Amino acid sequence: MSSSITAPKQELSPAEKAIVDSIGQLGDKAKIAYVRPKRVKILASRENIVEVAGFVRDVLKFDHIANVTGTDFPKDKAIEVDYHFESIDGPGLRSLVFSLGCRVPTEDPVLPSLIEVFPAVNYHERETAEMLGVVFKGHPNLSRFLLPEDWDDIPPLLKAYRLPGRLEAGE
Amino acid sequence: MPEIVNFEQFVRRILEILFWVLIILPMIALPVFYLIYVLQVEIQCGFSLLNCSHQIDWSLALYMFDPSKMNPLDPNSYISQLGLGTNSVLFKVSTFPGLTFAAILSSFVIWYERKLLAKMQYRIGPLYAGRVEGWLQSFADLFKLLFKEIVIPARADTLFFMAVPFAMMALSGALLAVIPVGPTTFIASSAYSLLIALAILSFFPIVTLLAGWASNNKFSFIGGIRALYQMISYEIPLILSVVGIIILSGGSLNFVDIVNSQSRIWFIGPMILGAIVFYVTAMAEVERIPFDIPEADSELVAGWLTEYTSMNFGVINLAVYIKLYALSSLFTLLFLGGWQGPAPVPGVVWFMIKTVIMLTIFIIPRGFNPRVRIDQLISFGWVWLIGIAFANIFIAVFLRAAGLL
Amino acid sequence: MITQQVAEDKLTVSIGPQHPGAGHFRFTITVEGDTITDCVPDPGYVHRGAEKQTEYRNYLQSIPMLERSSLTDVTNIIMPYSMASEELMGIEIPPRAKYLRMIMSENQRIISHLYWLGIQGIFLGHSTMFMWPLGDRDIFIDLGQMIGGARITYSYAIPGGVRNDMPESFKPRALKVFDYFEKRLKDYERIFFSSPLFLKRTLGVGVLPREDAIKLGVVGPVLRASDVKSDVRIDEPYNFYEDVDFEVPSFKECDTYARCMVHLIEMRQSMRIIRQCLEKIPQGPVRVKLSPQQRANAGEAYGRVEASRGAMGFHIISDGSTKPYRVKISVPSFRNLIALPKLLIGSHVADMPAIYWSLDYWPVEADR
Repeated sequence: MSSSITAPKQELSPAEKAIVDSIGQLGDKAKIAYVRPKRVKILASRENIVEVAGFVRDVLKFDHIANVTGTDFPKDKAIEVDYHFESIDGPGLRSLVFSLGCRVPTEDPVLPSLIEVFPAVNYHERETAEMLGVVFKGHPNLSRFLLPEDWDDIPPLLKAYRLPGRLEAGE
Repeated sequence: MPEIVNFEQFVRRILEILFWVLIILPMIALPVFYLIYVLQVEIQCGFSLLNCSHQIDWSLALYMFDPSKMNPLDPNSYISQLGLGTNSVLFKVSTFPGLTFAAILSSFVIWYERKLLAKMQYRIGPLYAGRVEGWLQSFADLFKLLFKEIVIPARADTLFFMAVPFAMMALSGALLAVIPVGPTTFIASSAYSLLIALAILSFFPIVTLLAGWASNNKFSFIGGIRALYQMISYEIPLILSVVGIIILSGGSLNFVDIVNSQSRIWFIGPMILGAIVFYVTAMAEVERIPFDIPEADSELVAGWLTEYTSMNFGVINLAVYIKLYALSSLFTLLFLGGWQGPAPVPGVVWFMIKTVIMLTIFIIPRGFNPRVRIDQLISFGWVWLIGIAFANIFIAVFLRAAGLL
Repeated sequence: MITQQVAEDKLTVSIGPQHPGAGHFRFTITVEGDTITDCVPDPGYVHRGAEKQTEYRNYLQSIPMLERSSLTDVTNIIMPYSMASEELMGIEIPPRAKYLRMIMSENQRIISHLYWLGIQGIFLGHSTMFMWPLGDRDIFIDLGQMIGGARITYSYAIPGGVRNDMPESFKPRALKVFDYFEKRLKDYERIFFSSPLFLKRTLGVGVLPREDAIKLGVVGPVLRASDVKSDVRIDEPYNFYEDVDFEVPSFKECDTYARCMVHLIEMRQSMRIIRQCLEKIPQGPVRVKLSPQQRANAGEAYGRVEASRGAMGFHIISDGSTKPYRVKISVPSFRNLIALPKLLIGSHVADMPAIYWSLDYWPVEADR
């Protein structure tokens, strides 16, 4: 569909180009998903994610965790966990949001926890664990956080869970 | 109201209401009885009811406030021979300057406090009970409290639990007994009045702790202990601040002598430090903001008053406000010259004016202060107030020795 | 509050789940004597599944549901959603809409901060500090009503622009309100923030050092009071924040008093921003009319905005249909929650109310 006012295209700033070059140091461990103005995303596999996170913190200087998104992709039979970082002390990086994504198969949703690298992901990972059924290895406490303690259904943010009384999502 | 399903509950409910009415009735009925019936009948018509309905001169009612100006017919009349006249102990204890007067004044103080705070906070305050600015609000609250159910916790110690309101009212009443409101208007005057008043003030922490303990609730108990800490820590500066007054009044502990020795200058002038210490410790004794930790509900504990419902709560609250009135009267007697004032207005009225001014000064800090933390409160009481009170004593000794006062 | 004795001198107290004026949230502290030795927060009492519900509604339909999470801050909570949706739909909103969004956003910031100040008064036992800010807040709510049409939840900053235009009478009224409120702020400083008892209860209480603040990921006034000059309005300017000038406060002391002062200064700066916007606002349309069945391009978008309590973010994943595939909300209250155990452990029990509310934790927003 089209709209009468479209957003203008923006150029990449030097900061983003510098990040893209730095990521080249990681070699195979990280793949760039997209580079847009102020938004960069890379993907890593679950064996490398702790190392890549340390790289993000120490070399790329993104030290402030913003968000942890968990998404269920039943078509790919995977659950993707995205970590979003902001930077406080990094030079000129204040406007960037850096995302680190990792896909795990739905049958085996185990992922190492990033809590050693970023202590702030404590509650975010806990919420993702209970909403999607992802198990973060190394997390000290994965008990129920937002859901009631006696929740006995499947994790609610999986696409297989239907809100009672609603049309199917996507209809 | 709780649901009544059989005759036994009905009878108990009636007896309960009757019980409280009988306690409140003397406080309301007696002064009405005196003012309307006995006084006029006594002064003008002797005891002959039949020929008295049309000639009542109401200005004679003022004599109720100063018994020394009583009609000389009074001692011979039948009523005072019965011991019920306005010069009798019963009248003084129950009506003026005793319980009824203090209770009605305290009810008005509650209304006054709510109005004053509301004006400070850009609000209106009580508005509907009574045509003018809701002046009947506290009476309406009292009336409402009469009809609520008295709940006693199941495992509470019933005897001590129910004894606390009576004990507090008795203590407040005893405090009123030694405070004179005019040169000859008092219930009891002894050579040790000031000491008696301070001793009675020391009983309140014990009763408070008893209230907290008898509720059988861990938090009420902790609240009672905190109230105990607060009151005991602040009693020593209270007593020390008064020692300066005793020195300056020539060693007399009688209130009438203390007021008379203020004829040259009111003691608030030279004893300003003592006045400040007395003021701060009095606020802590009655648990007013900023010292209302025992009643705070957003802190950890629930407070020692938690388990008290309906009239229990009403009577304890009234006792606390009567204590506030008594402390304001003490301040007036000790520092502000008591009943001294220019001639046409009687001394009693001057006393009341000064007491009401002091009550206002006690109420106002509630508008602009947050609560003090318990450890800050106790360290402040033990370190600073005792020091200032000692400085005050030295000033008093110096003034007395130099012959200035 | 429920207690159990766990050891000879240790008490476990459960505080909540209902606080006066502050919502449904429970945390359990273990008390030894007068010191808190452990704190376990327990949110989730108002979890309503907002994120799941957005997958069943199209982009415009989710707005009223999402804004009710953060009741005191409605304009700011849906703005990142609108920004991310517009990025996915590939549209740009007209400039007048951006200025109007800024005006409402700053108005909302003042409203939220005044509510925060009032409840801080309740927690400290100061009744006037509760009455005055809530009374003044009503004037700003009336200002918001002139533009938005409702008092609290007006669903204003929707994808495509804003819903209503500003009436002619808004500007003189707003200027009158700001003159009045600036005088009142001087009164607040004199009476509330200079009172010795208030200083005794907030100075040096609940200190969060700078490195801990960054490592724990806190945002908003808590971060600014910990010596970090970070604000999304200057880090990643959206709307037209780069064209107005304002200050972002930051303090070195990192204690509760610094957080109170940050809130106070932000209120002043908000008024300054609105004044400048009212001068600069151009004429023009306020909305790009979208059909409710608007499709978004497939992809991801992340929108960031400075809400009253901190930086708010929306991560939207779209698969090209009329309904979003996944919406993840990054809430400032949730990000600040991790500071609560850190600050409470080791402090006095009596400091607990002051510290808890100075973090400005709003349970409904954190639970979504």
